[in-house]
Amino acid sequence: MSEVVKLQLIGLCVVGFGTIILLFIKAQFARVIGFVSIVLGLFALVALAVPQMASLPPAEESINIADIKTPTDMASIGQKIFFSKGQCALCHSIGPSESARCPDLKGIGAKLSRDFIFESLTDPQAYIYLDYRHEGIPKEYPARMPYINKNPIALSKNEILSVIAFLQQMSGEPISVNPSELDLPRATPAPVKAADAGSVAVAHAR
Amino acid sequence: MTHQGRMVTSQGHQLAGPVALLAGCAALLGLVGIPDMAMAQESVAQAPTAYRDLPLIGSRNLVWIIAQLHLLLAGFVLGVPIFAWLCEIVGWKSGDKRYDKLAKEFTKLLTSSYATTALFGGILLFLLIGFYPKLMAYLTDIFFPSFLVYCALFLVETATLYLYWYGWDAMSEGNGKKFHIFLGLLLNVFAFFIMIVPNSWATFQASPVVLAEGTDFERAWAATWNPTWWPVNVHRLIANVVLGGYICGAYAGIRYLSARSQEERYHYDWMGYVGNFIGVFGLLPLPFAGYWLMREIYQYNQQMGITLMGGFLSWLFILQAMLIGVLFLGSNYYFWLGITHRIPGSETQYRKPIMAMLVILLLCLAVWMTPHSLVASLAEAQQMGGTHHPLLGVFGVMSAKMTVSNLMVLVTFMSFIMYWRAGKQDTAGWAKVAKAVMGGVLALAGIAVIILGVWGYFVPAIIRINYFSTSQVGIVIFVMLTITPLTALLLKSAKTTTEMVWGRMPPRAGYALVLNAVMVILLMTLMGYARSSSRVHWHVYGVMRDSSQYAFSPALGYAAALMALNTFLFCMLVAFIFWVATMGDKAKAAAAGPKGQPEPGAIPAMAGGSPTLDGPTDKSSIGHRPV
Repeated sequence: MSEVVKLQLIGLCVVGFGTIILLFIKAQFARVIGFVSIVLGLFALVALAVPQMASLPPAEESINIADIKTPTDMASIGQKIFFSKGQCALCHSIGPSESARCPDLKGIGAKLSRDFIFESLTDPQAYIYLDYRHEGIPKEYPARMPYINKNPIALSKNEILSVIAFLQQMSGEPISVNPSELDLPRATPAPVKAADAGSVAVAHAR
Repeated sequence: MTHQGRMVTSQGHQLAGPVALLAGCAALLGLVGIPDMAMAQESVAQAPTAYRDLPLIGSRNLVWIIAQLHLLLAGFVLGVPIFAWLCEIVGWKSGDKRYDKLAKEFTKLLTSSYATTALFGGILLFLLIGFYPKLMAYLTDIFFPSFLVYCALFLVETATLYLYWYGWDAMSEGNGKKFHIFLGLLLNVFAFFIMIVPNSWATFQASPVVLAEGTDFERAWAATWNPTWWPVNVHRLIANVVLGGYICGAYAGIRYLSARSQEERYHYDWMGYVGNFIGVFGLLPLPFAGYWLMREIYQYNQQMGITLMGGFLSWLFILQAMLIGVLFLGSNYYFWLGITHRIPGSETQYRKPIMAMLVILLLCLAVWMTPHSLVASLAEAQQMGGTHHPLLGVFGVMSAKMTVSNLMVLVTFMSFIMYWRAGKQDTAGWAKVAKAVMGGVLALAGIAVIILGVWGYFVPAIIRINYFSTSQVGIVIFVMLTITPLTALLLKSAKTTTEMVWGRMPPRAGYALVLNAVMVILLMTLMGYARSSSRVHWHVYGVMRDSSQYAFSPALGYAAALMALNTFLFCMLVAFIFWVATMGDKAKAAAAGPKGQPEPGAIPAMAGGSPTLDGPTDKSSIGHRPV
């Protein structure tokens, strides 16, 4: 017997219980309980009659730095970090977006050098690029660029380099970051939780 | 004096009880948590514990139940002071002691629920720390300053509530009354802040913003000021008033059903009317606040909006339509019963408009409940050319649903105006012009809402959402803001032709009040599930992933069964609290009169026992009072 059928049976029992109370019991409070039971049972039965769809989480991926062989591998990991741990997509869009609170990063890898991007991530107030001045109506929830290498985001150097690789690849530029630059872990590497491909695709769509 | 002292002591015990219980629960939780903690100690060297679970029921289900009960109680506790305070002001200004008595009765329910709310809040906190330590550590790191603010607010709220409740009789006259009303204001201000502080924690989970460097306070403030914080604050504030009003209405309905004296019937009939009025008053602007919230969600993250409205949660909105539809019908039905039973001779006069309103409401409900995609077999879908029905599919889109929801609000508003005007005759010279203006405004508004709704099919979604839907809402608000003051002005000089007779409602009116309360509670549980599920597999959307075994969102049927269970538990809890709170009154009433002897002519309002059906009683004159 499936879970839905079991729940339907319970719902029917609750409705029956309420009906019996209303038919045979005169005490007012008990009658109200019977009435409430019928209403709740019917609600559950209606909810069980519509299509039953659960939302299952996508599989979690663990990233092992030792598996990274090419710059493209790095860009692929950088893309996942961009849309998950890095929280970049909370503010930045890739392509024009009405809701993005911060500059559109489309083509940023072609526009800025690798070192400049690294500095923008780790010391965001060092140089404010004037092309990004926002004109027009102020944004409702303005955001200030955080230090990506510090808490609460706290990306490691390897992760930042991967994000830069992604930004360059996304801009159609040759990736100037090489896997040999990655710091190899001394002890057991802590896996980096990455976002699912679904979120990435959706953010691309935005 | 001695009696008062005893009352204070007994109520003090009543408040102290939950504290002891809370300590007991904490100890119990500690015992339950011992095995897990031992395991956690063994694995300290590996990684900190991220999740704990509970056998059989599961950690998520337990947190779901406790959080839901806490939120419902909190909604009641924060909503009731608003209208208790307003009732007190009305009583003070008008000199009508009934309102003061009603305000005190509301506050009594509030006082007895307050401790239980805090108790469930404490249990919830322990459970969250125990089951989700990693998440709680993350949130604590961000929000710790606001935790301190919350504690401080709770202290001043509790002190103000003590003063407000225990000082009611001592501060009933002159400047004392003014100070008491000021206390009521403070109570509401603190309650509002108590609501919005935890809202920031929950809304940050749904719509986090990036946190730059800064002091702890600056970071907490940045996280607090997130895109859905204010829409949720406004939506919850109104919803709390609705919940409080309908629960007080249901309480009055149950007391009315079991009333044994005409005086009780009169009082609880009137209280039920006030409760329903408060509920409807809040219900009318609630869809607009909900619309604003949804709009902000779409603006923040389109994917989250799509998950809610077009993804796996889309069928939830059909259930929501059903619940809101029944709520609108129930509220209107209660008004219509009031017109036909409290105003003698009005049955025939109002039959036609009531029938017209009923038809409009049912048609609107049918459109609102039309799903976007029908459940169809492959053959049926092939016949239709997709899952959209060639005719009914037109009604399954947002343009149609926004239109009918606005029309339902308009009809309910007119129901209330009709009830307000019933039994009165206009005497003002400008009455005819005013009535023509009101009729014109209403007709034009209805037409404009429908035209915008139809036009909405032919424009891009962004134009419909940003301009057409907001215009529809604006039109309905304009109608309310025009007709309400005009009616009030007209009625100021109107002659009462038929007095309202209280205590003559049939028993089904009591059940209608209970039904309305159950619908509101179910709606809150349903939308709580929607808000939580819209985060899908994230604790903090896009920032902290849920890696537990409960990262999935359950299907609607399973969730609805839990919602129904939560609603039932909440109803039983509230019934118990109210029973305890009114135990003293019953004892006093029993001591004042012969036990178990109903007043002459009194009829228990069981099915069929209405005085309307059984003829007037000797004491029916007690019900003849102006509204």
